[in-house]
Amino acid sequence: MHELLVIGPPLLAIAAAIAGFAQPGRLARHTVGAIEALVLAGLVAAALAAVDLALHGPLLDTLVLHDAVSATMLLLVAFVGWVVVRFARTYLDGEARQGLFMAWLCATLGCVMLLVVAGHLLLFILAWIGTSLGLTRLLLFYAERPAARRAARKKFLVARAADLALLAATGLLVAAYRTADIAAINSAARAGEGGGLAVAGAALLALAALLKSAQFPTHGWLTEVMEAPTPVSALLHAGVINAGGYLLIRFADVMLLSPAALAGLVMVGGFTALFGGMVMLTQPAIKTSLAWSTIAQMGFMIMQCGLALFPLALLHIVAHSLYKAHAFLSSGGAVERIALFRRPGGVAIPGPRAVGRAFLVALLIYALIGAAVGFLGQSPQALALGAILIFGIAYLVAQGLAEAAPLALTRRLVTLSALASLGYFALHVAVTWITAGSLPPAPPPGPLEWVLLSVAVLSFGLVAVAQAMLPLWAGHPAAAAIRVHLSNGLYVNTLTDRLIGGWAIGNAQPTSRRVRS
Amino acid sequence: MTIDITKIAEASAAAAAAIPPAWPLAATVAVNPWLGQTGEPLAMVAARMARAAGVAVTMERSWYAARIASGVITDDDLAAALAAAPSMPSGWRPENVAALKAAALTPSPAPRALPTVAELAAEATGVDWPSIIAERFGHFAAGWFDEGQALWAAPRGRSALAAWRAVATHDLTPELLGLGGFSARVAEAPDAASPLLAQAVAQLGLTPAAMTSVFHRALSTLGGWAQAARYRQWQAQLVGSDDGTITDFLAIRLLWEVALLDQLRPLVGTAWEATVAAHAVPLTPTPAQCIDAILQEAAERAGQRSLAARLAVDAPPAAEAPALQMAFCIDVRSEVFRRSLEAIDPRIQTLGFAGFFGLTAAHRRLGSDVAEHRLPVLLNPGFTSTAGNPEDVPANTARRLEVRVVRAWARFKLAAVSSFAFVEAAGPTYGLKLLRDALGIGGASPDQDPAPRPDPALDLPGRVRMTASILRAMSLTRGFAPLVMLAGHGANVVNNPHASALHCGACGGYTGDVNARLLATLLNDPQVRAGLSAEGIAVPETTLFLAALHDTTTDAVRLFDADAAGPAHHNQIARARQWLDAAGAIARSERAIRLPRATGGAQLVRRSTDWAETRPEWGLAGCQAFIAAPRARTAGRNLAGRAFLHDYVWRDDEGFGVLELILTAPVVVASWISLQYYGSCVAPELFGGGNKLLHNVVGGFGVVEGNGGALRTGLPWQSVHDGAGLAHEPLRLTVCVEAPIEAMTTILWRHPAVAALFDNRWLHLIALDDSGRMAWRYAGQSEWVPMESADAATPLAA
Repeated sequence: MHELLVIGPPLLAIAAAIAGFAQPGRLARHTVGAIEALVLAGLVAAALAAVDLALHGPLLDTLVLHDAVSATMLLLVAFVGWVVVRFARTYLDGEARQGLFMAWLCATLGCVMLLVVAGHLLLFILAWIGTSLGLTRLLLFYAERPAARRAARKKFLVARAADLALLAATGLLVAAYRTADIAAINSAARAGEGGGLAVAGAALLALAALLKSAQFPTHGWLTEVMEAPTPVSALLHAGVINAGGYLLIRFADVMLLSPAALAGLVMVGGFTALFGGMVMLTQPAIKTSLAWSTIAQMGFMIMQCGLALFPLALLHIVAHSLYKAHAFLSSGGAVERIALFRRPGGVAIPGPRAVGRAFLVALLIYALIGAAVGFLGQSPQALALGAILIFGIAYLVAQGLAEAAPLALTRRLVTLSALASLGYFALHVAVTWITAGSLPPAPPPGPLEWVLLSVAVLSFGLVAVAQAMLPLWAGHPAAAAIRVHLSNGLYVNTLTDRLIGGWAIGNAQPTSRRVRS
Repeated sequence: MTIDITKIAEASAAAAAAIPPAWPLAATVAVNPWLGQTGEPLAMVAARMARAAGVAVTMERSWYAARIASGVITDDDLAAALAAAPSMPSGWRPENVAALKAAALTPSPAPRALPTVAELAAEATGVDWPSIIAERFGHFAAGWFDEGQALWAAPRGRSALAAWRAVATHDLTPELLGLGGFSARVAEAPDAASPLLAQAVAQLGLTPAAMTSVFHRALSTLGGWAQAARYRQWQAQLVGSDDGTITDFLAIRLLWEVALLDQLRPLVGTAWEATVAAHAVPLTPTPAQCIDAILQEAAERAGQRSLAARLAVDAPPAAEAPALQMAFCIDVRSEVFRRSLEAIDPRIQTLGFAGFFGLTAAHRRLGSDVAEHRLPVLLNPGFTSTAGNPEDVPANTARRLEVRVVRAWARFKLAAVSSFAFVEAAGPTYGLKLLRDALGIGGASPDQDPAPRPDPALDLPGRVRMTASILRAMSLTRGFAPLVMLAGHGANVVNNPHASALHCGACGGYTGDVNARLLATLLNDPQVRAGLSAEGIAVPETTLFLAALHDTTTDAVRLFDADAAGPAHHNQIARARQWLDAAGAIARSERAIRLPRATGGAQLVRRSTDWAETRPEWGLAGCQAFIAAPRARTAGRNLAGRAFLHDYVWRDDEGFGVLELILTAPVVVASWISLQYYGSCVAPELFGGGNKLLHNVVGGFGVVEGNGGALRTGLPWQSVHDGAGLAHEPLRLTVCVEAPIEAMTTILWRHPAVAALFDNRWLHLIALDDSGRMAWRYAGQSEWVPMESADAATPLAA
């Protein structure tokens, strides 16, 4: 029964996909209804499986692994998947290849769900590759669009590199542990077994995760896949993109064997987080801005993995997926939102003194909550991360403390800041408790880790200060040049296009399609 | 050869005038895509648009052929269209109807624009320069027009050109993609458009005869960006000023051409010289373009025949003493609702008038500093208004605070480091939002603003003058019912970037409630009533004016009865509510038939809160006719939501001042709407808003498809097409007016720009006789001919 509930969601999604493939054109009303019903049934099964887990403990099958981590991910993907499929059901109405779209959407969704419950390396690899192939079909839904082909080509190259890295990594792990059972590999790794093969495997896992998570400098394709219908973006940014992070969390015990790989994750993830976050600031198009936001958020999550804060990375994946799915699906409201924000007049810009006070207030909030939650039990990594998040909160406080802000606004924003801080510390505690049996705690930091922690806290702090004071220095001529380079993502995409001939005619011949009837 | 700088300025002004303005999506209105070409007939514009943009201005031949085959277009229609075809400079036309029918079966050659240097370069080098330029220009323009998406906004600069130079001197992309020295070239370029254009003209070897055409071609490659720039110029010219954005854009685009030509002259130089020569050749429509125009005219005549048949039906006489009068916007969506409402009780009378109700208000909402122009975009605001009285100040402050908190939270969400804190603190709550929106719970909450008032207040003579002229323009000067409702309209949709396109065009793309509430308050004022009485308009003391808002998505009507509270009318209002509810149900059932997936009237209400719905309503799709006549001529006839209905009683119109107003204002607005739908159907690649599934809202003011490139203006494909076929029949509007033809001739003679619309058939003008039947057709150049179908046309005696 437990197995059936766990394997049910992916199988139901694949059944929905088959219904779509059977009717690749415009779908009959009852067929789209059936497709959504199948996916919804998958969500129900995922929820029941989670209840079953809470009652009877984890399931460690040859094929399937269902613990707190898998259950969280399965529930998340099944939920977001249902919302996206339900959205697409109406949104794609009238499209000539509606059935094909729903089919690939459900097939991709099924593969992601299979990935998160896979207990066997082979199944894991198949689901991993299947997800990527399904996504490519979705990205090329309007294959006549040159920009869609350009993006899909870049994505294809990066994804195949990620596949190779994963294949090599799993090969090394099988060689090291003489088993393809993921739970068994993890428990052996936790016992310190595996040796050099496992360490090399961990490094390759890290590489695969970086490639899969659109980390610098292989992030380019993610900023260009708005060439597919909105539900694809929602599924990609809320489901598929998490594969890399999930890989790291799933093999957390193995990853801990290689401090060097973890350090690499911190460096690449941390840089990508700051880089993506700054590029995002310059983007005037909503979906493009959201895409850069995803790159940054994935960077942050990868950094959390690198700091061995796997439960927090899992929390980040869940929180980010829910937010980003909603942000993409509701991006049509941007016109009204921006019009609304123009109505109450100009934004009160905080001056340097206000920014200074805001950071003090934020640190005070941190101290108070820390005292309440208990600083002492926390690892230095968790404390550093808390500090980084508090720098973010300071921006909210700063807006309230701006000299021109009325007192009522100040009160509301400071309260909101305190609530937000309380919110994530509560979530941190909750997720750590839920995953206590499945995920290893962060080991005590060594010298390398201390350096990384300090650099991370310092650089995020600097960017946070610069961000809070942005309107004060953005007008400077030197800032204009920086802005141009950042708004172009430091030309990484341009260079990639040049390397792969992205702008060549034939690859990018504009086809004027005049479909009229 | 050097060309006089004023000649260049004239050519660039002419090219700019050929581009239609595009309003930002926050409050967008329909625009005639050929606003700059109304002085030319369709075949000529076909030739012009083919050369400048490579788009057609008529449907594909198969569309006409299918209509001929099915009998929708008859031989008589074809013969009439052929006979009426304007003589072309080429002097060519098909010999007879048989030749025309044969031509309809052969596809028209696809229009091909003359190539740009970028296109020649692409052909020669295999690098897609046109797309690279489109991408780069879009990247710049999106930032430059941004109204608040990017937290780190692009500097606006002194001008568009200055802002672009500040970007392009740093941008490494062109160099990386193979256009060496581009940023250095930009740095050395003059920083004003005029010398830059002069340089470009010289370097591109443009001749005076070729200039305007080359410029038009260049601006067309910018798609909606040029139209957004033209909007700035339009707004500036409306207040007697000017704006150079579109000239700057032209100069920027030509700088790219010059750079490519300089780099690739050996490869493309000769071809470019030939292109310039081709631009200098005077335009002549091809025989195929003439045939297309004649077929289009025949389709329109077929439409007029079916409209004539509908109008010829005898209808029940109007009630003597109405219990309820309700004025609606002329918008075609009102027709369905008015017919449904009138069917419920003979004591209900409806009227049609432009939905801004003659009030040109620049309005500030509660808690807002933004003055919204709730008036037709052809006009300047006449006064300012505010929501609420001095006693509403606390509510005003509270609303501001509420929005500022939300805004601060949104900035927190989008800022570089704080976005991580936001996700970890608040991300999980989005699970609930996903659930809520997936189930369509909630939706947009209706605007709860207090009643608007003119601010500063208008003096009494001014208010009387204003209301008297509005009532006269509405042909509502006597026979007032005890309850007179003034219904503005607005759509009710969520997650839709094009929501404002579904609102009231006469109110500048906003909902019509503010104007209706302002007018109702004015008309309920006893002082104004006394003044009106002195003007000869006696409004009974017992008459109450009540503002309403017709929700065109759900056909629900909201009454603003709190604005004019009084126990005296309680029962009448309660009864009106029942009538409106019943009418809404009828109207919804009728509309549900046309909407895909709608299972019935009730489902229409659910669509309005569905965030995935791309077709919540059809807007004005289907619009075909504009009828200015007493309601008795159209009441009881099913016009299928395809006619703008304007009440007009010519016998009450001394001096034909109201007629002049109708022909020069609402008719022109209706032509913009009709031609926008037409353009979005026949040339969706340039004048359509693209695929909704790919829309990426840019800067809060527009959409691009996918990653970027050209701004997309006009109606999205989903707004004119249901997946199986067009939901809008692309016919140019037929204007039917019950008025003496001499009076119309005189008015057209006084307004050459309006006359051009009719002379060149962007609009058809038909005079109705005293029984509301089509009697006379305007044949252009002040000529009228009797309608083909009319038995014996007798002109109305003035």
